[in-house]
Amino acid sequence: MFTSRMRFWIVAAVAVALMLGVAPGQSLAQDKVIKIGTIFPLTGPVALAGQRCKAAVETAVEIINNKHPNIKVPLANQAGLLGGYKIVLVHTDSQGKPDVGKAEAERLINQEGVWALIGAYNSSVSMPASFVAERAKKIFMCGASSSAALTQRKDMKFFFRTASTDEVESQEFVDVLKWLNKTQKNAGIKSLGIIYENSVFGKHAAEEAKKAAAAGGFAVVADVPFNPGATNLDSEVQTLKSKNPDALFGAVLGADYALMVKTMKKMNWTPKVALNYCSGYQDPVIAKQLGPDADYFMGSTGYSPEFAGLMPAVAEVEKIFKSKTGGVPYDSDSIQETIAMLVLAQAIEKAKSLDPEVVAKTLYANTWPSPLSLSGKVAFVPGGQNKYALSLVTQLQGGKYKRVFPVEKADTKPVFPMKPWDKR
Amino acid sequence: MDTLLQVLLDGMLNGMLYALVAVGLCLIWGVMDVINFAHGEYVMIAMYLTYWLGFLANVDPLVSMFAGGLFIFILGALTYRLIIKYTIGKPPLSALLATFGLAMLLKNLCLNQFTPNYRILSGTWLGDRTFQLGAIIVPVPQLVTAALAIVVIGLVFFMLRSTRFGWAVQATAMDKEAAELMGINTERIYLLVFGIGGATVGIAGGIMPTYLAVHPEVGTMFSLIAFICVAMGGFGSIPGALVAALLVGVVEALGGYYIAPVFKYVAVFGLYLALVLLRPKGIFGW
Repeated sequence: MFTSRMRFWIVAAVAVALMLGVAPGQSLAQDKVIKIGTIFPLTGPVALAGQRCKAAVETAVEIINNKHPNIKVPLANQAGLLGGYKIVLVHTDSQGKPDVGKAEAERLINQEGVWALIGAYNSSVSMPASFVAERAKKIFMCGASSSAALTQRKDMKFFFRTASTDEVESQEFVDVLKWLNKTQKNAGIKSLGIIYENSVFGKHAAEEAKKAAAAGGFAVVADVPFNPGATNLDSEVQTLKSKNPDALFGAVLGADYALMVKTMKKMNWTPKVALNYCSGYQDPVIAKQLGPDADYFMGSTGYSPEFAGLMPAVAEVEKIFKSKTGGVPYDSDSIQETIAMLVLAQAIEKAKSLDPEVVAKTLYANTWPSPLSLSGKVAFVPGGQNKYALSLVTQLQGGKYKRVFPVEKADTKPVFPMKPWDKR
Repeated sequence: MDTLLQVLLDGMLNGMLYALVAVGLCLIWGVMDVINFAHGEYVMIAMYLTYWLGFLANVDPLVSMFAGGLFIFILGALTYRLIIKYTIGKPPLSALLATFGLAMLLKNLCLNQFTPNYRILSGTWLGDRTFQLGAIIVPVPQLVTAALAIVVIGLVFFMLRSTRFGWAVQATAMDKEAAELMGINTERIYLLVFGIGGATVGIAGGIMPTYLAVHPEVGTMFSLIAFICVAMGGFGSIPGALVAALLVGVVEALGGYYIAPVFKYVAVFGLYLALVLLRPKGIFGW
C-alpha cells in the first residue's frame, strides 16, 4: 500500500515529532502547566545535600499534582492547582558556584520561561540567583540557605526563605552556653572558638557568632576559617587545640565535617561543648558513617526522624521522599525545600492568580499552615524571612539526635562536657 | 617546641602522601610530556574500589590497596591505548583536553553510580590509632602511608635507574625517535609507563579510605597538589617530586598554623610561583 519512500517519510515525521516532544493532546496540557526552575548543587562538594533538596522539591510537587488523601498537609487532597494546573520542574545544577547558579537562573527565566525559582542551598548561590529573579519579577523560594544577609535585603519583593538563619542560630547557641553555665556544675564556659568554611555561608555564620558571643559576654579566642574541600584540617584543628576554647561553633559542610571530627580525634582534642550550624552535623548519613565518633557533638536541627512525635504529618510525606533518595530520611535542610514548595503552591491557590506580584503579596499577607515545620506555620516579614522559623538544639547520643534545648522541648539531658576520645 | 615538632611531623606525613600521589603523574609527565588531568579521578576510583572491597567483602585497605594499584594500572594502560595514543604528535593541548574529558567522565560516572554520598570505612586495621612520642601524637595510618610512599617511590626510582626497562623508559623520554632506532618499542614503553603511573596512584588512593571519606570530588585537591609537586620538583624527576611534596606538606602545615589556617594553600601556591619564577625547570629538572 505504502511505497518505501512514503514509509520512510512517515517514519521520519514520527521520529521528528517524538524528538520534539509533540504528542496528541499535549499542547492542550501544556496550557495548564506552571513551570518552576530549581537551582541546586547537584554536583560538586555539596552534591549530596543538593540532590536531597531536589528530591524534596519533587516530593512536594508529587503531593501538589496528585491526590494523597492519607497525607495531612495542605493541598494533598486535591490534584493540581487553580482547577487543573500541574507543576512541572526544570532542574539545573549550580555546582555550588555563584556564577554558575546566576547563569542558570538567567537561563531558566529567559530560555525555559519558568514562572518561579526555588533553591539554591548554598547562600553564595542564592544571593546572585535571587537578584536575577528579582529583576525579572519572578518569585524565588529559598528553603535551606541560612545566611542572614539574604533576608536583610528589605527592598526584595520576590524573595522568600522558610528556614532559620545563622543569626537566629547564633543567638540560640549563646543561649545554650548560658544555660549550661547556669545548670551544669562547674561548667565555666568563657571562651569560644569558631571553625567555618571560607564561603558566604561560613563567613556570615562566623560574623553572627562573633556578634552573639560579644553580646553574651563570651570571648572569641580562636577564629579559624578554612578552604572547603581541603586535603586535611591539621592546621585548623591544631590551632583550635592550642587555643583550647571552652566552646566550639562550627559551620562545616559535608565531607569537611567528617574530616574535622576525625582530625579532632587524631589530635585527641575536644572542647567542653561543640555546636554546629546547618552543616555536616545534620546529615544523618555522615552521622551514621562516623559512628560513635559523631556522638556528643551538638547542633541546630529543624528536623530529624527522632522528631516524629512533634511532627506527625512528616511520616507519610517522608515515604515519598525516601523513595527518591534510596531510603535516606529528611534532614533539616531538605525538609525546608518541601515546605517552601508547598507554601508557594498554597499562595498560588489562595491568590487564584498566576501573576507573580499578586502571589508575592499573598505570600506576605497570610500565615500559612505548615505541618512539616517545627512551629506548624509559616509567615513572612519584609525581606522575606519566615518569622516562625524554628530549630531545636540537639546532641548526638548513641547515633540519635536527642533534643536538649530549649528545655520545654527537650527529650533528654545533654552529656556535658563532651566525653574525651579516650573515654568513649 | 612540642607544637612546632607536631606541626612539622603532620606536614611531613601529609607531604609523603602527596609524594605518593604525585610520583605517577611525574612519571607520565616526564616520559610522555602528557599532563594527565584525570590523575585525581584515578585516586578517587582507587578509593571507591578499596572502600567497596572493605564494605562488602571486609577486605582491609592494607590488602586491597594492591587491588587498587592493579585496577588503576589497567585503567592507565587503557587510557593510553584508547585516548592518549591518538593525541601523540598532535598539539600538546589535545592530550590535556582529552584527559580533562576523561576526568569529567569518570567523576560523573561515579556520581551517577555511587551518588554523592560521603563514605567512611570503619573498623580498618589501622583505624584511628595513634601513639605518643613525648608530647607528640603520631597517627599510625599516616605513618604507614609515609612508609608505603618510601617503598613505592624507591621501587619506581630503582626501576628507572637500574633496570633495562628503566633505561628504555629514560631513552624514550629523552628522544623517542632515537630510542626507536635502537630497537626500543616506544609504544609498549608508553603503555607501561601510563600503567605504572596509574598503579602508584592506585596504591595511594587504595590506602586513603583508612582515614579519608570517599566521594566523587575527593581527588580534585590531591590532583592539584600533585601537579604543583611535579612542576616544583622538575618535570620527570622522581626525587624532585618527593622533595617538593615534602616541602609542600611542611609549608602548608607551618603556614596554616603559624600564619592562619586559611593561608595554608596561599603559602603553598606562593612557594610554587616563587620557585617556578626562580627556577622554571624545577628543583631537580632535567
